[in-house]
Amino acid sequence: MTKHDSNQPAAEAPIIIATDVDKIYPNGCHALKAVSTTVARGEVVVILGPSGSGKSTFLRTLNQLEVINGGSILIDGVDMYSKGTNINQLREQVGMVFQNFNLFPHKTALENVMLAPLKVSGREPKEVEEHARDLMYKVGMDQRMQNYPSHLSGGQQQRVAIARALAMKPKIMLFDEPTSALDPEMVGEVLDVMKSLAAEGMTMVVVTHEMGFAREVADRVLFMEEGALLVEDNPDDFFDHPSHPRLKQFLSKIF
Amino acid sequence: MHVNQKNWLWNGVFIAIILGLCASVYLAGKRIDYSWNWDRVVPFIINSDPLEIVAEVDGTLEFNEQGQPQIYPYDGGDPQLIDPTLALSLSEGDMVYAGDVLASIEQTRIGPLLEGLLVTIEISIISLLFAVVIGLMVGLMRVSVNPALRNLAITYIEVIRGTPLLVQIFIVYFFLGTVLELERFTAGVVALSVFTAAYVAEIIRAGIQSIPSGQMEAARSLGMSYPKAMIYVILPQAFKRTLPPMAGQFINLIKDSSLVSVIAITDLTKAGREVISGNFAPFEVWFTVALLYLVLTSALSWAIQRLERRLAASD
Ligand SMILES: Nc1ncnc2c1ncn2[C@@H]1O[C@H](COP(=O)(O)OP(=O)(O)OP(=O)(O)O)[C@@H](O)[C@H]1O
Ligand SMILES: [Mg+2]
Repeated sequence: MTKHDSNQPAAEAPIIIATDVDKIYPNGCHALKAVSTTVARGEVVVILGPSGSGKSTFLRTLNQLEVINGGSILIDGVDMYSKGTNINQLREQVGMVFQNFNLFPHKTALENVMLAPLKVSGREPKEVEEHARDLMYKVGMDQRMQNYPSHLSGGQQQRVAIARALAMKPKIMLFDEPTSALDPEMVGEVLDVMKSLAAEGMTMVVVTHEMGFAREVADRVLFMEEGALLVEDNPDDFFDHPSHPRLKQFLSKIF
Repeated sequence: MHVNQKNWLWNGVFIAIILGLCASVYLAGKRIDYSWNWDRVVPFIINSDPLEIVAEVDGTLEFNEQGQPQIYPYDGGDPQLIDPTLALSLSEGDMVYAGDVLASIEQTRIGPLLEGLLVTIEISIISLLFAVVIGLMVGLMRVSVNPALRNLAITYIEVIRGTPLLVQIFIVYFFLGTVLELERFTAGVVALSVFTAAYVAEIIRAGIQSIPSGQMEAARSLGMSYPKAMIYVILPQAFKRTLPPMAGQFINLIKDSSLVSVIAITDLTKAGREVISGNFAPFEVWFTVALLYLVLTSALSWAIQRLERRLAASD
């Protein structure tokens, strides 16, 4: 049910087009080596790979938290690095969820969700609040809206963080290990929210170690190692018939 | 129970030491054959001497047609009019000489020490406002990625922190003051705020840098510009963390303001010196001046502690 349905208009261009993306950190670390991929509208892509393989770095180039050193990235047809591009407007369309939630500790849960729409989009405060309350309901946090982040569990904080990203009405959602900082019993509640998002047709790029989630929800799985994108495959072939020897090695260590 | 008893003991020790210190100060005062006279200090704080209305000319006291008392001078000049509401200590026809007391008004005025205290408060508050504004700007420049802004901020901070405030006050007063025709009070405010701002900038820089980088990333990923992220996300959090060092800096500012007395601003310290030069009660006056400073700084640190507690709501 959550799988991306393939009867979309064939002519529609991918919403993310990354071409030969290179990233070299100031300390000389070559974190991305000519990474090219595309993501279709409504597609859920999961990125796997060993620690330090460049998964986070790649994800962060997609909303320019990291500036790339070569190649190009198009978001919904807009070249991120062309002169006329307003990066703040572009980021409004690309929500991001972090491993450590990064909620604003001086704001209540509801205020966290409302802050950016109020200060950035210039929407009507009433409309923003209604939308924020709807989102809180959607992530199951409608009972704890007035709590400060320090009074919420990790799973609750992460669900608020998802609502906060959704409040900007993004076209794409990026998730960087959203469940890695959570106690095991809280992983499920966050994955459930992500699954329902995927079912609604949100375009998602997810870095995660949750193989179950990848199998069940992903339309495509990417495997990265040492800054290079080695494998792109549908989840069944990716897990059951791994082609690349490095991927076989990686999977054998996990299972 | 056990702990409680120990605390009692140590509190007793504390009080004993304080009393001992007071006693030794007192005995030291005795030894140098100084006659303590705290009464003399009081009028310099609150002056309750009655205001005396004195005759300006030699003449006779009479009432004119409207019933207003007047002194008609012997030499036939203009009469000295007297406020009819005053309770005169003389009656009609009495002879008066210039300098005679005609009436006295009960009143309390603030003495020179309190006047000095008010000047100290005024110069501290004005300097504080400027120091915060300048310090915030320099602090933001300091964390900027733009090398020009960053290096300007570093230079400013290093130059100001590397030279004594007293020298800065002289430079501002004699050099800048002459070039820009500054009044001495303005010169004092400029020197104090520029000096304090350098420390405020460092406190703000440390505050901003103590906020985890994920906060800025989260704000930017939501489409906020850098200034908006600073204003709505970083600075409110940094502000809370900078309150304790900021309180210390503001207390320093109040104490540092005593140095402006060298350019003849009659602040609390200068007022103390002036009172002593006419009165010869140096010990009492200096202790009083110290106490007044202490009242000021404690009030400030109490206020900031209250603010801190209010801001702790989200912890
Ligand atoms: N800010 C940085 N400065 C310098 N090097 C960095 C920086 N961030 C990451 N790197 C390096 O870039 C490489 C890729 O890091 P990245 O965080 O993208 O890996 P990852 O696949 O997300 O790993 P993990 O699973 O541990 O999160 C690593 O070698 C890392 O040391
Ligand atoms: Mg990572």
